[in-house]
Amino acid sequence: MREVNQDTVAEAEAIERGGGPLDVPGLLAKVSERRRTQPGDAAGPAPGGGAGGAVAGASPTEPESHESRTGPENPASRTEAEGTGHGRPAARDVHALAAAVSAVAGRFLPGGELAVDADFFDAGGSSVDAVEFAAALEEELGIALDLDEVFADARPISLARRVPHAPPPSGSATREAAPPVPVPPAPVPPAPQGTAVTTATPAAVTSAGPATARPEDLEQILADLALADRLPFVADPEPLPPRRILLTGATGFLGGHLLLDLLRHSDAHVYCLVRAEDEDAALTRLGEALKSYRLPWSSEVRRRITVLPGDLRRPHLGLTDETWARLARELDSIVGVAAAVDFLRGYQSLRGSNVLGPLTLAELAATGRPKPLHHISSIAVFNEVGIASMGEDDPLAHIDRLVSGYDQSKWAAEVALRRARDHGLIVTALRPGGIGGHTRTGAYNPQDLSSGLISAFGRFRTVPAFRYLNAAPVDWVSRVAAAVVCEPDAWGFDYNLTGVPSTLDDVVRDMALGGMHVRVQDWDEWRTGTLARLEAEPVPGLAFLTRVLRSPTALKLCEATLRGPAAEMERTAALVEALGLPPARRYDARAQLKTFEKLAEDGLGRLPARDDPPYLWFSETTEGTVGPVGAPADVPCSMALTLSIASMHQLVSERRVDVRGTLTCPALHTEPLTVERGDVWVRPEEGIPQRHGMKHPLLRYRLELVDASGGRWWLEGRKHARARRDLWRQTRALTVEIGPAGEPATLAGEVVVPADSYVRDQIDGIEVDPRLTGREKRAAKLTWLAWFGLEMGRGLIGPFARAAADLLDLRRTTTLTERHR
Amino acid sequence: MIFESRTRKTAAPALRRVRTAPALRPLQHRLDPSAVEEIELRAGDGVRLGLTRIGGDSGGDRPAVLLLHGHTASADMFLLPETRNLVDVLLDEGCEPWLLDWRGSCRLPYNATGARYTYDDVALYDIPAAVARIRERIGDRPLFVVAHCIGSLCLSLSLTAGLVPGLAGVVSQGVFLTPKLAGRTSLRMSLAGELLRSRIDHIPVDFRSVGLWSKYTPLFALASRKAGCPDPTCRILHHSAWGTGASLFVHEHLSETTHGRLADLLGPAPLWILPHLRRIELARTVVRWHDTDHRYRALPPNALDAAGRIDTPVLLISGSENGLWLDSQKLCHQVLARRQPQLDVRYTEIPGYGHLDTFLGRGAALDVYGHILEFLGEHR
Repeated sequence: MREVNQDTVAEAEAIERGGGPLDVPGLLAKVSERRRTQPGDAAGPAPGGGAGGAVAGASPTEPESHESRTGPENPASRTEAEGTGHGRPAARDVHALAAAVSAVAGRFLPGGELAVDADFFDAGGSSVDAVEFAAALEEELGIALDLDEVFADARPISLARRVPHAPPPSGSATREAAPPVPVPPAPVPPAPQGTAVTTATPAAVTSAGPATARPEDLEQILADLALADRLPFVADPEPLPPRRILLTGATGFLGGHLLLDLLRHSDAHVYCLVRAEDEDAALTRLGEALKSYRLPWSSEVRRRITVLPGDLRRPHLGLTDETWARLARELDSIVGVAAAVDFLRGYQSLRGSNVLGPLTLAELAATGRPKPLHHISSIAVFNEVGIASMGEDDPLAHIDRLVSGYDQSKWAAEVALRRARDHGLIVTALRPGGIGGHTRTGAYNPQDLSSGLISAFGRFRTVPAFRYLNAAPVDWVSRVAAAVVCEPDAWGFDYNLTGVPSTLDDVVRDMALGGMHVRVQDWDEWRTGTLARLEAEPVPGLAFLTRVLRSPTALKLCEATLRGPAAEMERTAALVEALGLPPARRYDARAQLKTFEKLAEDGLGRLPARDDPPYLWFSETTEGTVGPVGAPADVPCSMALTLSIASMHQLVSERRVDVRGTLTCPALHTEPLTVERGDVWVRPEEGIPQRHGMKHPLLRYRLELVDASGGRWWLEGRKHARARRDLWRQTRALTVEIGPAGEPATLAGEVVVPADSYVRDQIDGIEVDPRLTGREKRAAKLTWLAWFGLEMGRGLIGPFARAAADLLDLRRTTTLTERHR
Repeated sequence: MIFESRTRKTAAPALRRVRTAPALRPLQHRLDPSAVEEIELRAGDGVRLGLTRIGGDSGGDRPAVLLLHGHTASADMFLLPETRNLVDVLLDEGCEPWLLDWRGSCRLPYNATGARYTYDDVALYDIPAAVARIRERIGDRPLFVVAHCIGSLCLSLSLTAGLVPGLAGVVSQGVFLTPKLAGRTSLRMSLAGELLRSRIDHIPVDFRSVGLWSKYTPLFALASRKAGCPDPTCRILHHSAWGTGASLFVHEHLSETTHGRLADLLGPAPLWILPHLRRIELARTVVRWHDTDHRYRALPPNALDAAGRIDTPVLLISGSENGLWLDSQKLCHQVLARRQPQLDVRYTEIPGYGHLDTFLGRGAALDVYGHILEFLGEHR
């Protein structure tokens, strides 16, 4: 097989040079001609479904392995072989074209080459690479494939077969050979998507969005399900908390968190399957991944894990027979978290990781001593538009109505493992919904759709009208999953780890609390608007969201998610209560705060900043006198300032108010000076006195000033709380120091807010962002007043509390009467 | 009336000590007994303290690490036999742990009986005495200090007084120079503490030692309001931190064994320490108690003003859910970065952890000690 590959590579290179036996247009013509004359043909050599081991483990990246091992008894390869059996004569041209395609593909891959029947994504290609690859195909080979087609099945051979010059007529060999799969009419009327797609995405004009799965995918799914029947019959595992656990997907978002939770809440040693060349590389990769999720990575973590370089998609996980046998003997629990999470790729491309991988884990669980298999499934198994309920024991979606490859692959894996249960295997299916960022660290999954959506909500201040958001923070999901793994009585059931669903109202209110007043839009309107804005000013971190919003298949997935019912989790709730775990809470504004902050830090989200139109503002005037340092203050000095905040978040996290305005002081310049940048901190440093004593700072002003001739000055001012009865003056009097930029103070004095202007300006005169509704404005104003009032109150009371404590210390010390003296 | 102690005896009266001195309760650990060396130590004012060196041979260039417990805890908090504890981790890392039981330790009797003290005494006598004794033994090998809670607060006073110069590094957990309590905790501590002060002299945590019906019963009952855990010791600690209403640890983080041993790990809290603690808390900085007693003049009146004297790198750590000292460490980092920018001060927040569970928690080795080891590794 290796030689064949090299031949095709050589052939492809020849074609690229233009000196080969045929040029690309010629090839294309030949292929389409053959297609027209031989409608049955759509095939190259069987791409191989999976063999090796007792069960599965197809590896598209290693063609030689299944070429040699594919047995006639393998159902997957049999179906494909039958489906493709009588097209041999034409295969050569398709094959040559495929070779050309794979040569182009190779340029976008880390390995530099791609076998004709290997999947582009499995070989390391990213979505971005795929977009570039499709563009290159069109530009260089003249093959114009729909982007969705490329994502659905990105094996060169399959792309070559789908060259659009001659679409295979209906009733092709594939269809005939397929088991009778009834193709029902679309479950929903073709959504108004079509129109929106036309306006927004030129790439998707051709397709109005598929309503049902592609027949060839269904065929493959059925073949994959049958693989579970090859598992041996298994006895029950010992019902003890695990001591040695195999964990896949530890470099992923949920997997990393689960790894730490398993270590924290059990005494187990964890073996992590990591895709890497050798152990060092695997360890480095795992460490990098954990650190990127703000998880600890220290010698203490390393001493309790063992990394196993391998690959979930390969037979026996890509491990040596010796390691495999040792694991089969020693492990007492298997936790499968690894999955390819990509909403654009098709079933063919995802099945290796998402279906065959879990089946290999089931094989390991059934080999040697029996062990439970805990499989992280997904709420995506219910992701059918119009499904009635999503309880833990409710029927899954109809597979023919799942259109996205991701949904299909998660469904297939769960159903295949259900079959494995009939062999005696203990299989737990844990189905998270959206996995939100960590409530304490803010670590989030940049590739997760819900992170993308939430950051788009915050960024564009619009949300699409959805019914429920079935999302829970990663810390809760992983904590509950770890508890299931460690509790034998919890094994073997299905759990929805979806948390408490948020309704649209909840989300809108949460965002308003965070100072982000969002507007609700119809799904199509939202998608069009968001896509237009993402295209107008691309955000690097949200590129995948742009692609998702452009892909008709992925849109179907989004639509089903947004229109779906609330997921229920009775069994999970019972478990949580019985084990005393933290109960599920709604993933609300407070829980999301850290994630929002990190999203903003990473440039994905956006928090309101100084340059934005302010959220709330009011004016402040001060009058007073300053004089040279050490001399009496006799030069008048006044300020006319505007104090504003961009969001309540700024207040709560930084306790800072932005300042603009002017300062007039003849000692500095005859003309008023402009505030270039100004801040006011409320109770700076928690009111800790600057020097030992009773003067607790209430407010700190720091202004950078520019005079009319370009001279630069700084002003530092403080209001202090003291244990004296002039409280009203303490809140208004500002002790200031002024100096030229970069030099010590030259002027000092005191300016005071006139008593009559205080209430007029700072309470009655508060203005709020005019884009808000009246109710929102009143709420904003009251929130500010309440917050500021409380802070001032706390600040003013501090010195009095100290004075009172001094009084109490004067009390007579009693002679103690306790027995144990 | 309930505070009037009736004649009912809860324990037999102790013999008047005429020959014996206060003795240390034995350490609870699972180490090889030969690896544990108890060293006789008296503080500068003659008070008997406990100092323990762990690790058989003292050869090599192993850095020494002095561990300071919090008030009412003891060296036992670093030696939990049921979990991977800090001493295990330090030994594996090639360090030599030294454990000091300063006078606030529950292995010593001073919290419940005996002479009163303030944190000035700890900063002036206990910590410098221990450091001097360790230095005698280790020569010029580097000496680190890892301090928890009040141990760390007192250490900050010793450091700013210049009494323990030349440390290789300090790891401070929970609170350092800028103590900050929640308003509710502060109010309870100041007012309720004041009301109780003339009636009882310490708040016990072990229900079994005082009995069901005693003058402490209302305290236990109040502390138990709305508490989740039925264990009265856990209630008065976890739920109320000796009745102040703050949460001492995240309940889920303790292993069952540790939870059952809480009464051994944390002892009674004396009420006569409250005036000093209150003065410190209201000033938001560590301040000296004794203004007129010249024996204490080595200590600065305000430790934060003297922070420039700190001559060692400092790592401030704190659980993000610290229910007692809140975000004092973050505040301390901000204040020091602004007022003493020349100091090497870092701040690390442990997500999801409370106060005590940073050392007592079953996952502390994974989540907390890594940061400490990293710091020690950088400066050893």
